[in-house]
Amino acid sequence: MNGLQVSQLTLRVVDRVLIADLTQTFASGEMWCIAGPNGAGKTTLIAALAGLSKAASGSISLDGKALREWRSNDLARRRALMPQATHDAFSATVLDTVMLNRFPHLTGWGWESDADRAAAHTALDTLGLATFASRDVLSLSGGERQRVALAATLCQDAPLLLLDEPLAHLDLHHQIDCLEALGEWIGSKPRSVIFSCHDLNLARRFATHALLLDGAGHTHAGPVCDVLTPERASAAFGYPLTLIQQDGHEALVPVMRSTSP
Amino acid sequence: MNARRASIVWTVLGLAALAVFVASLALGSIAVSPLRVIQALVSQSTDVIDEIVLSLRLPRALGGFASGALLGMAGALLQVLLRNPLAEPYVLGVSGGAAAFALAAMLFSLSWWSVDAAAFAGAFLSILLVLGLARRELWRGEPQDASPRLLLTGAVIAAGWGALITLMLAVAPENRLRGMVFWLTGDLNGVAMPWAALIALAVALVAIVPVAPQLNILLRGDVAAEALGVPVVRLRLRVYLVASLAAAAAVTTAGTIGFIGLVVPHVLRLAFGNDQRMLLPASALGGGLAVMGADLIARTVIAPAQLPVGVITALIGVPVFLWMLLRRAP
Repeated sequence: MNGLQVSQLTLRVVDRVLIADLTQTFASGEMWCIAGPNGAGKTTLIAALAGLSKAASGSISLDGKALREWRSNDLARRRALMPQATHDAFSATVLDTVMLNRFPHLTGWGWESDADRAAAHTALDTLGLATFASRDVLSLSGGERQRVALAATLCQDAPLLLLDEPLAHLDLHHQIDCLEALGEWIGSKPRSVIFSCHDLNLARRFATHALLLDGAGHTHAGPVCDVLTPERASAAFGYPLTLIQQDGHEALVPVMRSTSP
Repeated sequence: MNARRASIVWTVLGLAALAVFVASLALGSIAVSPLRVIQALVSQSTDVIDEIVLSLRLPRALGGFASGALLGMAGALLQVLLRNPLAEPYVLGVSGGAAAFALAAMLFSLSWWSVDAAAFAGAFLSILLVLGLARRELWRGEPQDASPRLLLTGAVIAAGWGALITLMLAVAPENRLRGMVFWLTGDLNGVAMPWAALIALAVALVAIVPVAPQLNILLRGDVAAEALGVPVVRLRLRVYLVASLAAAAAVTTAGTIGFIGLVVPHVLRLAFGNDQRMLLPASALGGGLAVMGADLIARTVIAPAQLPVGVITALIGVPVFLWMLLRRAP
């Protein structure tokens, strides 16, 4: 049984139920967007899907084997996680930073081989960062740093990517470049991506499926255009949205608040 | 950084340390040729020169090397553990505990070996105190980044020891004050053969060098490290224990020599990068080299009088560090 299976998953914080009784399969070849308002549990869910949450009740299994039964090194070669925040306390080159994600593949005394170096260069190329290899990470802008973090996650060479807000801080054309790169990355082998995102229109255009959270335990999952509908998104985000269409393009936009009395 | 470049760094530092080691045995009130030093080390004869080299200079040079190496490594480790470039071996209160107990032993004019024993007991108590108070950060997995709270816990305990030290200095009789101040500055005078520090150095290297690749990952944050298969909680506890016990062994041997644990890892990092696989052994070699060299200066510059080695490490460490730091500024 390939892919990530979630069954009867419940996630809580302190006194609130974020997700109640979620059962869902995330199959190979799919690109899932997790959407929902702030504090709805997107990061908590992604951590649970990565096997890093001790509080999750229910079961999550990958390729038919419960996450907690995986050896940590095997798991790191099967799924990669890109956290929302990155820490840079010390100088380091972009290449060295990206190459850290080759850790699950290291052998012997723990030094990278030429193959690891090549994988890091390929990942940088994929995101148009080839010229950044010898830059210091401390000198990068927020958006550049974010793309370097995404390149590091790709370099881990795990067939399942869990990305927490990979498009944050990016300008529009880099958001689209990254999503196109991820789409191509999925197409070339049996791989899948689960990412959280605030831009519902990018999600509708690039994701194949969506999981919508409302922060009160309710979830909707399915093909992206069946889930990110004006009705469901309006209910989840607590603000009326409408779908407009022009020349074959679609966009979810907020309804203007009536200004007349 | 790759294995070959790291070995070049280690070889150069090792050769420099060896040169300073031979110089430490050769130079002093009676200068001896390097050949005579080697002869004293290998032959069984015991004339006056052999006696000076083997019983006075050799323990002192080895004590300087071992305590400097322990401090360099402890500093590099705590900078990783706390993800803070300003961290140093004394920041979590180990040296404060050691100093408070050692000064108390000196205040009651106990023998020299009991001052050493008291110093280690104080350091160990301080380590246990931080382990108990920061148990959530060190033992259990915390979802959020735990290093700021661990740093604050240690810093407050260090401040507490500082208050006790000041109190003892204030009430100490005049004739004991000089010895106490020398101890606080770091002094290698009268060091016996430093077996404990040398064994501690070997144990610390064996315990930490194999996990150096994981330490590189730990710097990226707890969540990222956990996701890459690094057992963060166990690793954090191991780093804390190795760094603290290394600092405790160094302080017990030579008092609180300052700046080595802060400056040596930084100088090496600025020169060769922040790869822990290279940096941890290099910090040990560099720290040992620095303290041994500083002690050579401390006992020769105004001979026959001697300065505490900590004065020299501070006087040299501060400008070297500032130069390295500002050189890189844009």
